[in-house]
Amino acid sequence: MYTTLFISSISLGSFYTLIALGFALIYGVTRYFNLAHGELLVLAGYVAYWTWKSWSWPFLLTFPVAVAVMLPVCFGLQRIFARIREPRELNSIVLSFGVAILIQNGMLLCFKGDYRLIRVPILNQGYHFGSFYISYAQLTLLLLSLTAIGCLYLLMQHTYVGKALRATIQDKEAAALAGINVAVMGTIAFGLGAVLIGLAGPLYGCIHYLYPSGGHEATLLAITITIFAGVGRLRGIILAGWIMGLAESLAVVFWGASWREMVSALILLTLLALRPHGIFGREGT
Amino acid sequence: MTTEIFLTRLKRSQFGRGGLMLVLVALFLLPLVVRHNDYILHVFMQALLFATLALAWNILGMSGAISLGHAAFFGAGAYASALLSLDAGFTPWVAIPLGGLLAAGLGLTMGLICMRLRGAYFALATLAFVEIPKVITDNWDGLTHGSLGLVGIPGLPALRIGAWHINIGDSITASYYFVYVYALLLLGLVAFLFRSNLGLALQAIREEESAAESLGIQADIYRSLCLFLSAFFTGISGACYAHLVRYIEPGLAYGIHFSAIPLVFAICGGRFTVIGPVLAALILYPMDQFVFHPLFPAGHEFLYGAVLILAVLFMPAGLWGTFSRNRDFCTLYDKK
Repeated sequence: MYTTLFISSISLGSFYTLIALGFALIYGVTRYFNLAHGELLVLAGYVAYWTWKSWSWPFLLTFPVAVAVMLPVCFGLQRIFARIREPRELNSIVLSFGVAILIQNGMLLCFKGDYRLIRVPILNQGYHFGSFYISYAQLTLLLLSLTAIGCLYLLMQHTYVGKALRATIQDKEAAALAGINVAVMGTIAFGLGAVLIGLAGPLYGCIHYLYPSGGHEATLLAITITIFAGVGRLRGIILAGWIMGLAESLAVVFWGASWREMVSALILLTLLALRPHGIFGREGT
Repeated sequence: MTTEIFLTRLKRSQFGRGGLMLVLVALFLLPLVVRHNDYILHVFMQALLFATLALAWNILGMSGAISLGHAAFFGAGAYASALLSLDAGFTPWVAIPLGGLLAAGLGLTMGLICMRLRGAYFALATLAFVEIPKVITDNWDGLTHGSLGLVGIPGLPALRIGAWHINIGDSITASYYFVYVYALLLLGLVAFLFRSNLGLALQAIREEESAAESLGIQADIYRSLCLFLSAFFTGISGACYAHLVRYIEPGLAYGIHFSAIPLVFAICGGRFTVIGPVLAALILYPMDQFVFHPLFPAGHEFLYGAVLILAVLFMPAGLWGTFSRNRDFCTLYDKK
């Protein structure tokens, strides 16, 4: 039982990492808290749902569609963010809270409030490996999330753009002095964020029911993981995602499914009260 | 020259005060004008109730903090008062203040947790904080009836003053006047608070906390006091809501809606003004109900998101803060 629990938490945790990465990247590079992150995720899920349902495209083809829709949305969002005044962090929170309300109600207007799920029959089957069992849904989550995270990791560590992004995350002004175009880095961060959301959205739609106000929980999760890891710590985010997955699975097993929502809130509050710079973070970074 | 500026300022503020008086008188006379239309009266009653939420939110807002989680206090007040009157047999007149006190206790708890947090991190903490009373209410079936919610909450009982006998719960007009009086009292209290030393201290804390502390202002105490009062009155408004609407459930009472409403009204109206949030509530909520609800029955609340975005981008001082130039409270933006 514990191996199964462990496998499901790791696969869920990897998915949580995927969700949080877009948020963390945007926050790290631009210092804008995007509270509409979860709503964007649900929106991507809806896009995938409609391409899958009304055009009956295969599930895998919904990913490029979701990414293609998310890119202009995120660039539009960046244009709005770029106009806010000091104090930027706080104003970005209020602004994106407004964006979240806007997207939520827009989805309610377009898709109605019904619960929707992308049903891919093959994902319900599973694979027996000796004594433990992994369902194809978990396997897909694990593989796709880890692939995406791996690609991002390679991009961040082994390319010039990645280096510039990391420099911007560490110190915006010093990066600008070194000749890095910080504004372009912001655009790249939003673009990468859009790709990550576009990848996570369809997956979200097939393991979770889609409904317009469902994004709130994902936002909270992304904030918690980002703060947990500390700003701009990619490896820390993976670990934080796994810990969140494990914590939620344990909460479900020991207390019941309805207490799960409280886990990320409790962890976030504890973190903010005790270690606002994150478990892996250092003060002043 | 200075006298001239002083006079224009006086005129403007007189105009503002006169305008507010006009609005208040119009609202007082409203039930006489729309006698046969309960719907309009109901909408304005809700608008006034939401104005009290915005006023209460703004007590904290004046200290410079932004809360995304006032639904925690709203829900706690609503639930406490509803349960006390439904299951413990208290009269709403006792249950409502007790609901307020529970919400205030919750506010102090939040204050303790968020003691060291400022600005953006405080806002994030409030966002997470809502989940705790929400999930507890949702799961503690024995006490709160769980996720099914509460139906048949007792309405506000009749009020006897001498020979007068006002049946508040039964008539929409009486309910309307009840909320009107509550809103008026809260407006008076908030106006008084911000003209008192507390208001000056808050202004100092907001502008530069370390400088304020070096002047001997104990920022933590003032901040806690703000949170206490803000949560208390939000709880009272929540309790009134429960007894007026007579139905609540966790997803509604602790929902993002009641966190957003005071925030949107306060920021659009003018975060550092007394009157702004009230005016924004009185303009935006009826606009939502009369114009946007018939047009877009499903997602009409996108209006709140849109005005919030516009306010942050183009009018950070809010409607009242921009147009009235009420210098008492808008120093932050007047320096430019």
